[in-house]
Amino acid sequence: MVHRVASSESPCFSIDERTGKLFSTLLKAGSLAAGLLIWHFLAVYAINDATLLVSPVVVVQTAYEMLFVNGELYPHLFASSWIFFYGFALAIVVGVPLGFVMALSPLVRDYVNPWMTTLYTTPRIAFAPVLLLWFGIGGGAKVAIVFLGCVFPILINSYFGMRAVNRDYVELARSFRLRPWALFLKILLPASVPFILAGIRLAIGRGLTGVAIAEWFGATEGLGYLVFFAGQTLNVPTLFVGVAAFAVLGILGFELVRRVEAYVTPWRKEPQGG
Amino acid sequence: MAGPVLELRNLHKEIARKDREPFTIFRNVNLSLRDGEFVSVVGPSGCGKTTMLRVINGLLPRTSGEIFIDGRSATEMDHELVMGFVFQGASLLPWRTGLKNVLLGLEGRGQNAKEAEQIARRYLDLVGLSGFENHYPHELSGGMQERVNLARALAVNPRILLMDEPFAALDAQTRNFMQLELLRIWSETKKTVIFVTHMIAEAILLSDRVVVFSHRPGTIRSEFQVPLGRPRRMEMRSDPRFLELENVVWKQIEEEVNASGGFSQM
Repeated sequence: MVHRVASSESPCFSIDERTGKLFSTLLKAGSLAAGLLIWHFLAVYAINDATLLVSPVVVVQTAYEMLFVNGELYPHLFASSWIFFYGFALAIVVGVPLGFVMALSPLVRDYVNPWMTTLYTTPRIAFAPVLLLWFGIGGGAKVAIVFLGCVFPILINSYFGMRAVNRDYVELARSFRLRPWALFLKILLPASVPFILAGIRLAIGRGLTGVAIAEWFGATEGLGYLVFFAGQTLNVPTLFVGVAAFAVLGILGFELVRRVEAYVTPWRKEPQGG
Repeated sequence: MAGPVLELRNLHKEIARKDREPFTIFRNVNLSLRDGEFVSVVGPSGCGKTTMLRVINGLLPRTSGEIFIDGRSATEMDHELVMGFVFQGASLLPWRTGLKNVLLGLEGRGQNAKEAEQIARRYLDLVGLSGFENHYPHELSGGMQERVNLARALAVNPRILLMDEPFAALDAQTRNFMQLELLRIWSETKKTVIFVTHMIAEAILLSDRVVVFSHRPGTIRSEFQVPLGRPRRMEMRSDPRFLELENVVWKQIEEEVNASGGFSQM
């Protein structure tokens, strides 16, 4: 009998769901198409100056050439991807454990907090020249700039994720006499995962900004360098290809996190994002 | 074996307050439960009955008094899992399936994983949920979540089951079914139970003995043996003895509420 009681909380819109989804997809596609159309007409009829704006058609043509004809985009793409990957990975490796330790130990929190606040609120771009001085114009400085961009959202979300764990779960663990380590692994960590992933998602955008900043300062390759150089030489098609490549990296990153989220938190009704 | 399974002697709980005298939650609680006894605790809202359950389980420290389990001091056996706690609102871990929720208390307790899983499956079966092992809590109805909650507490085979208004969140009908289910499970497992509720009828239907708490600071005002045989059935709610006891208990709670300044002061 009781087995048949349906979960009364979930609204029954299964019939509308499909049409709703289709409508939503059409809306997104329509929005993109409208934006591209306006861009095209602006470039061709209103501005008509290739040193200011070119049609998306030209951008796609240029991208095609740089990808499949002369392959000019690849070195920049790879250089930026590696810088991003190293800085991002380092931010996760440092940010998540540090956030946890701060959440679990008021001592560490008070010790780290002033530094965190200072570093977090200082514009990262102001650090860039200092980091270049310290690490040279090799990869180190660039990774450091990306790291600084990514680490704070990850750290802060890991901290708040662990602080926000439902007290009932902690009491439950106590009632089963779980040891501290089991409490951490079985309650605190899984309860924090959605927060951590939200921090990681935030960090993607900030990390890519870091890549662009890092490569504007004395780099010889990378998407940031490409955009900067193209801007200096009024090469608008290449500039837009560089910007688009950043956008694609960002979207890929978001999608990756979304998939990781769907995989590690299958218990969430609707993983946010995407 | 003749002695009580659980004995509370002068149990007292207060909370220290800054610049004021301590706040007493409950005082002078003396209660003993024999093996397999089902005792309900009712009383006005905020009388400290839920806090008492938490103190018995060691989730909160007591201020004074003693707790004995099978004649041994509970302080000495704090690391042993002699009590299962059934929390108000199922409080299932949303990232664990039904089976894994039941496994929580069994993990890291010496059995190998296979044995533990068999035990968990057995208890899910006992509460009528075989086939729902791999469902996440959000995929289960409120009644089913309470069943998992119960299975989780029972799976560690505790001597005593402490239940804190476990059915408070359920609708009236589901609640009645769960009461009967609880009685069935209780008769199969022979646990000693303290059941905290604010529903007098629920207390009488389920229990061997009903304990009435006074208003805050709570203490035991009276105890009643329930004059009904087992197994209990829903029809017993219209039995004259049932109705008489319900009336007596209600009058006492009403008096307690009035003595504390009336319902509007609660």
